[in-house]
Amino acid sequence: MRLYKKEGNVLQIISFPTECVEKGDYLLVEDDEAGKALIAQVIDVQFAAVPGVLEELLRTLSDGGEPLMGEDIDPMEIAPHITYIQDANLLVCKIRATLENQILSPSSSWLPSRSQSAIKKLSIPMLMKLAKVDGKLPIILGGTKDSSLLTIDASEVDGTLNIITGKKGCGKSHLSKLLMVNLVGYKATVVVFDLNGEYSSLGLTNDGKRNMYYDKIHSFTPSQNFKVSLEQLHLNTVMGILVNALHLPGTSAREFRRLWKSLKEQGKLTMSDLGEAIRDLNCNQHVKDALTSRFHSFANSGFFTDCPGEAMLLDDRLLRSKNQGGAIVINLKNTSNIDRQIIVEYVLGKLVDSLTNWKLQAVFLFAEEAHLYLRETYWDDIVTRMRHYGIFTTFITNQPDTIQETIYRQADNIFLFNFTNEHDLDVVSRAARVDAETVRSIARDLPPHHCLTLGRVVNDFPIVARVRSLDIKTMGETRLFFSNKN
Amino acid sequence: MHLNGLTQQLDPREQCFRTLHLKPEPIILKRNLKETIIAATDTSTIKIGETPTGIIVAMRGAITWRQNRIYNYTRLGPFILHITEENKNQLYNALEKAYFNISYEKAHPSAPNISQMPTRLASLLERWIQSMLAKTINNGVLLFDGSLMAGTIDTPVQRLKEILSLARRNKSIVLAFSKATTLRVNGILITEQRLNHEPPYLVETTGLYSKPPQALLGDVYVARLNRSNLSFRLDIDREISSEGRVDALQKLLGNDLHTQSYPETLRLAHILCTFTANEVIAIKHFITSKHGIQIINRPDMHKLLFGAFGSGEVYT
Repeated sequence: MRLYKKEGNVLQIISFPTECVEKGDYLLVEDDEAGKALIAQVIDVQFAAVPGVLEELLRTLSDGGEPLMGEDIDPMEIAPHITYIQDANLLVCKIRATLENQILSPSSSWLPSRSQSAIKKLSIPMLMKLAKVDGKLPIILGGTKDSSLLTIDASEVDGTLNIITGKKGCGKSHLSKLLMVNLVGYKATVVVFDLNGEYSSLGLTNDGKRNMYYDKIHSFTPSQNFKVSLEQLHLNTVMGILVNALHLPGTSAREFRRLWKSLKEQGKLTMSDLGEAIRDLNCNQHVKDALTSRFHSFANSGFFTDCPGEAMLLDDRLLRSKNQGGAIVINLKNTSNIDRQIIVEYVLGKLVDSLTNWKLQAVFLFAEEAHLYLRETYWDDIVTRMRHYGIFTTFITNQPDTIQETIYRQADNIFLFNFTNEHDLDVVSRAARVDAETVRSIARDLPPHHCLTLGRVVNDFPIVARVRSLDIKTMGETRLFFSNKN
Repeated sequence: MHLNGLTQQLDPREQCFRTLHLKPEPIILKRNLKETIIAATDTSTIKIGETPTGIIVAMRGAITWRQNRIYNYTRLGPFILHITEENKNQLYNALEKAYFNISYEKAHPSAPNISQMPTRLASLLERWIQSMLAKTINNGVLLFDGSLMAGTIDTPVQRLKEILSLARRNKSIVLAFSKATTLRVNGILITEQRLNHEPPYLVETTGLYSKPPQALLGDVYVARLNRSNLSFRLDIDREISSEGRVDALQKLLGNDLHTQSYPETLRLAHILCTFTANEVIAIKHFITSKHGIQIINRPDMHKLLFGAFGSGEVYT
């Protein structure tokens, strides 16, 4: 390999077919004289503009466009050299860091010698060692192209905002499960908004046996094993549900607040008493109608109960997982849009409550396709206010444009799977921790189950890895019509 | 023969042709679709670079033929030669002996100039390929690049005579197309004379004679094979009858393409033997990696002395 050009933080390197360099690989451009080296990542592999190649290709076609039939008698065996030159590659690389005295700095302001620099591939383990991507809480994400393991530190996910995105069926949920169970393994408290009911069986192996996480994965299905009594609810949580999820107008909200306080004073905070109180309410008919319709939404959700035995104490569950680690999986499958919003409002309210009172240290929240249940104003809330309370969110989506641009800008880690759509790539490329060319170029060519990891967990050295398999019952497969017929 | 990167000089020998005329009536040609092999050959040479002791030259020959409406080719080479003052005689002699079983030293008392060696070697290869083609193809039309002028430093009369004779023995006819000519009638190049006739046609020339030791072994025509504005000098073996000549041209018309009044088979031979820039880079890579020979980059004196005005003579 030879250094050809440097423009800004982009290097162009000439490479030959035998050198087998691919997109995502890291190269070390060493200038012994300067005592420094550049660490650059290949973001595109092109044909080198070798003069005469067009003529070479054209002359093998006759007038009819059919390839010429022929034989080359080449006693000196020059043909392999010609092929070698014709197939020369131009590697477009992004400079990631400068290495000087075994210390990395993000500078790319110096110019290595074009004639004297030695260029070699930098293995991922060596890069990880230089970048000090290790730690005491390792999470093995998967294998890199050079058969090494990509291990991140769980503490680098702590206090961060993460995004897992990629097109359908490329392994996003699988990676989120991997992160989740590893965090649980390190005694973290995890809450999952499980839109498709695929996290419920993480405590089981593929063949249905219990695994090490069995006792730590708690799945709750609203209106089945997840119901709450009104008495458990804080007025702020209820108001949050009414205003944000059920869009209760201000005047009606004020009336409800008054009604709630009155019932609480009387010790009558039950669904039946609330319904009766609304029925008997002597106020503006519009307000009464608004409250009645919201009450029916409450009642129809099946999420609220008057039976103390049915009610689940989420705080207790969270507290239990505080010491030994655990995941609270909120199964939102088969839940209507309104009910989903009610439940999410309730869970988030409870989490904030527990965190504010220091009942919990911090919570890792995994939110799949959050746009389906998270209200507009919550996005900023989650990445700013709730982050300070200790809710560290991982968004998982196959529609990157449903996540606001501000979220991308503040994301600490992005786990990017394959996207072919330019628009999707444009959206993701707005992330602050990576340049747009890297995202566009590498993500487009990622094979299924391969993930480009960006951000803090890899010390801002984007790395491609094949996500390792898990011996857990994932239940993430799409139900197919023809699957039984083959 | 094609000289990659070397300035192709028009042959001053042609100055000796006087009293040249074109017959006013052209020979009108009709396509003869009878299946006939059309074969062509060309060679190319290029100076790859200089070494402390000499020059490195690459040469290649191409044979193309059209049979059953399909074009085929065989390429010989590239052959890479390191020519030095010490080895040039030995090299030329060895190749002459290998190709034609004749010692160069016997035929030529003085050694060729080192700068002429690339063209001389390529010419040698070309004549050898032509003789092989003449030997192996029966009832075909053989297309050569250039004229049928013999008795020059690189083409002894006897050698060309033998090639033509071999072709005739195998009932093949040699047609030699020149891409450029200096032959003029009334001050105008013979290929630029316009006749009010519908192509394809041949225009016969008269009054051409060669000055010994040179010998013109063919009769010279101007060939315009289609409606494009291009015409070419065509030399046809003198020993072939007039009918045979016309028949050969008509078979060529019926069995080959002529996009610019030039036979496609010959065009392909030329294209296939030409060295492209990436091949030159590859050859340099070969000689450096395999033989450890370093090519010297001598300063370009024209550029050095005259700057932007010094691009008169270009060597690779």
